[in-house]
Amino acid sequence: MKKNNPEEDSLLIQRAQKGDTGAFNFLMTKYYPRVYASLFTFTKSKEDSEDLSQQTFIKVWKKINSFRGDSAFFTWVYRIAINLAKNHVVSSNYKKDKVNISADAIEMDFASHANPETDLMHSQSLNNVRSFINGLPESLRTAFTLRESDGLSYEEISLITDTPIGTVRSRIFRARESVLEFISQESANEK
Amino acid sequence: MKNNNINEKLSALYDGELDESEVNSVLDALSIDESLQKKLSHYALMSSALNINEGNIEPIKPKNTFNSKLWLSNGITAAASVLLTIAFINLDTINFSRLGPDNAATNRLNLAINSKEAKNIANLSEDNLVDHVLKVINNPEFMSSNNSDVDLRNVGFNTKGQVNRQYIKGEESFRLRIEKKNLGIKKIRYWQHGNKMIYLVPLADGRVLTLYGNLNSESAIEIAQVIDK
Repeated sequence: MKKNNPEEDSLLIQRAQKGDTGAFNFLMTKYYPRVYASLFTFTKSKEDSEDLSQQTFIKVWKKINSFRGDSAFFTWVYRIAINLAKNHVVSSNYKKDKVNISADAIEMDFASHANPETDLMHSQSLNNVRSFINGLPESLRTAFTLRESDGLSYEEISLITDTPIGTVRSRIFRARESVLEFISQESANEK
Repeated sequence: MKNNNINEKLSALYDGELDESEVNSVLDALSIDESLQKKLSHYALMSSALNINEGNIEPIKPKNTFNSKLWLSNGITAAASVLLTIAFINLDTINFSRLGPDNAATNRLNLAINSKEAKNIANLSEDNLVDHVLKVINNPEFMSSNNSDVDLRNVGFNTKGQVNRQYIKGEESFRLRIEKKNLGIKKIRYWQHGNKMIYLVPLADGRVLTLYGNLNSESAIEIAQVIDK
């Protein structure tokens, strides 16, 4: 289970708190998929999730100076998003046809929200991606999974793998590039 | 080589591991390089997808205050409910284009911000009850996951189905569930969802009875009295 590190985004948050929209856009882009996915589990509606995601980040922008770093940034954003969702669901006489959606449907719908290139993120393709990650060279796979799945810092990964932090950084980057290239190839093969 | 360098920095910044002195160069590049923006989006999507079934989202702890008007209110408009917490800000200062903003919705919702309804909703924080009702509405299995074996034939309700037991009398039909926790309620609470009703009835022993279906309030009270005996 990936842990949320309270320190992870501190640099960007501090900049956003000073009005740096570039830093805020970075944070928004980073967390949009997770916020959207969280909202979708509540609303079962792609449109509502998109609307609420936007509203969440507008509210985050408005309130970012009140974020003190007591929790991870995403935890804070998540609370804002879910409170918006709860208010929305409770007060909008929820439509019956939005109720019965399976977990698979949620995953697939989430996958397609951003752009067509992300279609691979539905369940079967996600399994392919996971298999690909398992087939990465051990050094890349270890660094990448310790970061992405366990949420460890570069320093922690460095200690665990007994490698310099710079090497950890490079391995994680190369793993990401490999995964994105794999996804791109999978996408091209499906077309 | 230069591209790899900025891409690696992007990856490090994404992980919150880039030196402060290098952040500017990445943010500057991001502001003009669409491929870099795309890569960042893909990093984010990859992270989210790889963790989507991992339960990495922390649960929300319930709050305590209560607004009974809201709980019983079915007439609040969707428009008032959606952007109620958002004050007027200058959207031009933020690049929301990648999110596909809906101007009509934004305008509609902006109008709702200062409405009385919106303020009422904003005061809602009875999250534990809200959570419970959301489960009743959104999770078809929730009402059958605690399949209390209650005989209601003496008040005219026969049962149908074993797994998803339904109680039926004439045009009335419902499912029930009993919570061991009291959810903090002392009076019967009800909420209309489409053409169905949800009743939350506090029982004498501290448990809470949930009834969900086509059921009038008199029947709900009658059923609660039977269960309470």
